Amino acid sequence: MQSQENKPQNSLLAWIDARYPLVSTWNLHVGQYYAPKNFNFWYFFGSLALLVLVNQILTGVWLTMSFKPSAAEAFNSVEYIMRDVEWGWLIRYLHSTGASAFFIVIYLHMMRGLLYGSYKNPRELIWLIGMLLFLVLMAEAFMGYLLPWGQMSFWGAQVIISLFGAIPVIGPDLAVWIRGDFVISDATLNRFFALHVIALPLVLIILVFMHIVALHQVGSNNPDGVEIKKYKNDQGLPIDGIPFHPYYSVKDLFGTSVFLFFFAMVVFYMPEGGGYFLEKPNFEPANPLKTPDHIAPVWYFTPFYAVLRAVPDKLLGVVAMGAAIAVLFTLPWLDRCKVKSIRYRGASYKVLLAMLVVSFVVLGWLGTQPATPELTKLARIFTATYFLFFIILPFTSVSERTKPVPERVS
Amino acid sequence: MSSNEQQEVKNLTRRKVLTAATGVVGAAGATFLAVPFVSSWQPSEKAKAAGAPVEADLSQLQPGQMLTISWRGKPVWIVKRTPRMLELLPSINADLRDPMSEASDQPAYCQNEYRSTREEILVVIGVCTHLGCAPLYRPAENSADMAEGWKGGFFCPCHGSTYDLAGRVFQGVPAPKNLEVPPYRYLSDSVIRVGEDPEEGVA
Amino acid sequence: MKRIFSILTLLIALPGVVLASGGSAIQLEKANNSLADQDSLQRGAVLFSNYCMACHSTKYMRYNRIARDIGWDNETAVSEMGKNVVKPVDNVMTRMMPGVGQQVLGKTPPDLSLMARLKGTDYIYSFLRGFELDEHTGEWDNKLLKGTSMPHVLENMQRHFEPEDYMQATRDIANYLEYVGEPAKLQRYDLGWKVLAFLLVLIILSYLLKKEYWRDVKH
Repeated sequence: MQSQENKPQNSLLAWIDARYPLVSTWNLHVGQYYAPKNFNFWYFFGSLALLVLVNQILTGVWLTMSFKPSAAEAFNSVEYIMRDVEWGWLIRYLHSTGASAFFIVIYLHMMRGLLYGSYKNPRELIWLIGMLLFLVLMAEAFMGYLLPWGQMSFWGAQVIISLFGAIPVIGPDLAVWIRGDFVISDATLNRFFALHVIALPLVLIILVFMHIVALHQVGSNNPDGVEIKKYKNDQGLPIDGIPFHPYYSVKDLFGTSVFLFFFAMVVFYMPEGGGYFLEKPNFEPANPLKTPDHIAPVWYFTPFYAVLRAVPDKLLGVVAMGAAIAVLFTLPWLDRCKVKSIRYRGASYKVLLAMLVVSFVVLGWLGTQPATPELTKLARIFTATYFLFFIILPFTSVSERTKPVPERVS
Repeated sequence: MSSNEQQEVKNLTRRKVLTAATGVVGAAGATFLAVPFVSSWQPSEKAKAAGAPVEADLSQLQPGQMLTISWRGKPVWIVKRTPRMLELLPSINADLRDPMSEASDQPAYCQNEYRSTREEILVVIGVCTHLGCAPLYRPAENSADMAEGWKGGFFCPCHGSTYDLAGRVFQGVPAPKNLEVPPYRYLSDSVIRVGEDPEEGVA
Repeated sequence: MKRIFSILTLLIALPGVVLASGGSAIQLEKANNSLADQDSLQRGAVLFSNYCMACHSTKYMRYNRIARDIGWDNETAVSEMGKNVVKPVDNVMTRMMPGVGQQVLGKTPPDLSLMARLKGTDYIYSFLRGFELDEHTGEWDNKLLKGTSMPHVLENMQRHFEPEDYMQATRDIANYLEYVGEPAKLQRYDLGWKVLAFLLVLIILSYLLKKEYWRDVKH
């Protein structure tokens, strides 16, 4: 079906194509990748995540040119970037704002999956690779946050690494091994730097590649949750599909410009993000002898941090926090409803999903607050409702009162 | 049919114009975006501070003696030439590659016979113009380790380039240009500031 | 489209809502300073040099950068702030010998480069204005930071200046320290709206382009 298109006319292209599958790769993933024509707002965030990844890599590479990964010099070198390096402030803010933007985009991207059932058969593997991406991204962000070597960097890392100490028997030794010292120190900073700038980005890129390959193997889902491959025209092309290029490339270009507008607004007018993107205590160099009055992780970790604090036991708290992330991996098998899109699903799923989203947002807010007894009580309630989603879903989803799903996209 | 085709053509024109416009604006944006990344490779304020003008006191400098100071991480030589040395300079013009310093690097106020603002004081950057080695100071006439008829100057041990006592390069050696003269000015009779032009501002 | 906007509004409003729910115990006075006010920055720099640099440094700043940003030439910065004993490229260091602070005040006075970012400009303003004379002991203390090691260096100014002038002087110092906290802030504000204007053009163009291509797609 694609044979006549696959023969490049240009002789240079022909020469290359005889030696490297350039044209066919382009056609397979862009030029003749047929995507459903009914993508809505929620489908911008995949391409935006890729954009932010590129931003992080580019600005990150440039930051390493002036950053000094040592306890004695890290803090000073960040201020050196902010003041003495030409345009250093912009490159640094693009990177720090990019970190928060990454999680905003990824959380919305995951939300899209929940709304339209993008994790369901045959896309379970896309979801699993995506969850791995999320996990690696969290590690990447966590290690990056230590590098400026401010008070929050230090004490945030101190708290998170101490979590490993909760593991029975090997815990304390494991925490020391991760730090490479008995406290967070120069050695920790140095190894986190290595992981942050090369090892984890490499893993991220490979996983992103796999994520896209897996997606293009089965084709994109859509807001109606119907398979466009079911109805093909006489050329064998999906009737409700359109080539990614030019239709979605121009649409994503529009999405990109809108995103960049908001992104630039933050970079230029509120790079501290109201104290959530750059936390105030981090403008003070790390001091191992003095904990800041109130320490909270960066906003994108706070939902899971709130779960940790809600449990009044060190080990069980860590287990709960781990479970809050791990349970997301199993979603494709917990949700047993055949209908994908929320448009045609029963009331029970809508209520459950609303409960999950509210729990997540409230937990996120609670994680930024000091742990008073009232707030801890609140955190326990919302931790319970968070997990309730995953506990109830397998039962309600079997006998859900769904609406009839249309044959083709509407 | 024909009206349909016309519609098609009209659309395509609009499409081409919009694609071109977006492309141009996007390319302009990408160019602007490249500016911070490219200019961040320029010397930082710290590097510029380290390369700030340096001062030296010449009151103890004896005739024939050389003082080396560091400016922007490079050696700068300050030589107090004797009357005899100055006298010899014009006599070797014929053996030089660029006797009038027309193809060499120096501030305009040093493009003269002695390559200096004060006749007796030579100020040059001690980096061979060939491949950046540091030449040796051989001020004596007929210096033992130099060729016959040597009238004093500098000798680069790396590839054998030779310069006279005005930092002018000889013919038949690999170095292409005379030694570079940095901007400098005198703050008083005996204090020199290297890295700043006589009038105003840092070079 | 409507839904998109409501979501975006929510996203933008969220940090504000969260922020409003926080709050500190002591009410801070508003500094009402302006980084655009170069005269205020110049006065603040001179006051900082005269009253603060005996103990404090702003070690990440250089005199020539200050000069460039607040409308001085290098010579003015060196004479007004550096007492003519520094070079323009030098960092703004304290005049106190190392160790003296520990001996005399019991504490090394902190570097103030990032104090405005750490504590906020209003805090600095309120702190400077927060010194109160204890009637019983006859000693000064600060209502923001009880038992602070810092003496009331502006005491004479507070006694002899008109209240408005004293208020302006403390505001100038706070203003200067906000500038020192992030000298690029001036450039950032200046460049930001140009970038946003450019992106607006790109948004319009790419929207029209998308519309044009999507004519082909039948719904």
